[in-house]
Amino acid sequence: EVRGQMSGVRGQGSGGAAGGDEEVIRPPDRENRLLILNQFFWFQWRIDEKPVKIDKWDGAAVKNSLDDAAKKVLLEKFEYVENFCLVDGRLMICTVSCLFAMLALVWDYLHPFPESRPGLVLCGSGSGFCSLTRLLITYFIMMGILTLYTSYKEKNIFLVALQKDPAGMDPDHVWQLSSSLKRFDDLYTLRVSFSDGKTKNWREAEFTKSVAVFFDDSGTLVMDQFEKSVSKLHDTLAMEKKTK
Amino acid sequence: MLSLDFLDDVRRMNKRQLYYQVLNFGMIVSSALMIWKGLMVVTGSESPIVVVLSGSMEPAFHRGDLLFLTNRVEDPIRVGEIVVFRIEGREIPIVHRVLKIHEKENGDIKFLTKGDNNAVDDRGLYKQGQHWLEKKDVVGRARGSLVN
Repeated sequence: EVRGQMSGVRGQGSGGAAGGDEEVIRPPDRENRLLILNQFFWFQWRIDEKPVKIDKWDGAAVKNSLDDAAKKVLLEKFEYVENFCLVDGRLMICTVSCLFAMLALVWDYLHPFPESRPGLVLCGSGSGFCSLTRLLITYFIMMGILTLYTSYKEKNIFLVALQKDPAGMDPDHVWQLSSSLKRFDDLYTLRVSFSDGKTKNWREAEFTKSVAVFFDDSGTLVMDQFEKSVSKLHDTLAMEKKTK
Repeated sequence: MLSLDFLDDVRRMNKRQLYYQVLNFGMIVSSALMIWKGLMVVTGSESPIVVVLSGSMEPAFHRGDLLFLTNRVEDPIRVGEIVVFRIEGREIPIVHRVLKIHEKENGDIKFLTKGDNNAVDDRGLYKQGQHWLEKKDVVGRARGSLVN
């Protein structure tokens, strides 16, 4: 479809066509220009191969880009399969909380807040007042659950990847990546943990380096450097496995 | 081509991360909403925090001050207290002091208000033919203030 439209551009143009065997390439008129622009824009939307450039003074952006690069190394170079259970858990808790909040909003709209009625107030007749309280309490409990989940279950882990057994018989090995970068600090710690599918052994290794090692002056991530460090870490753990 | 560097972060995200960003925003909005509703439930007032809009209560409250209200049934309104009320048919709440109260045995009250800085009481502000305010007009009683 793209080619058809592109060739259409050649034929048209402003002004009369030239005679003879010459093929004249006319500049595309406005309609075609918009079409081309639209398609170019869409194809370039996913920029997986463009080198990563961020503001080197923005700590959050630096950590995020390093995390993403580590993910890329494990998923593309070693071809592990990403497992989304941990992330899905968090998304589920957040979604449920938002639903409760929306429910509370709708409920409050349908049952307008009872003005101070002399006498009755608390949970006597199951009035709107009472249920609003219940929805609120549920929401704040969900917030508590979310905090516990993020602190104790997720613990800075940003990737859970499965190493499929080539023979297809043993259960998968589980690789987990977690990292930390303190506020206003330049030392980035990457922790790789390996959990053997069969023996249920658990090992981990980590490195701590300054972010200046991986970023150049303009804020572009030097992927080769980073990949080397991550691969070294990965191989340390893989090597231990073989010697055991 | 168009340089969309500022959108690079969004383009690098996959579906899950995008959904998480949307959820994050939703969570912030939800939390703010729920805290407001929580305050409403705890204080019993439909508008637990109001802003003083006019200078009719100077020198006690100036325009722009925040007031924290409660509206609990157990605390009856007494003369001399500062109440925030709405006149029937009008949206804007008014902050004035209670001047007179007529109280029935069952707890129904009719009261008259006046702003400290005003020369006359509020009968001129009330609805046509209305001479007293009732409990249902009250938004809450002032419990604390934040000077702007």
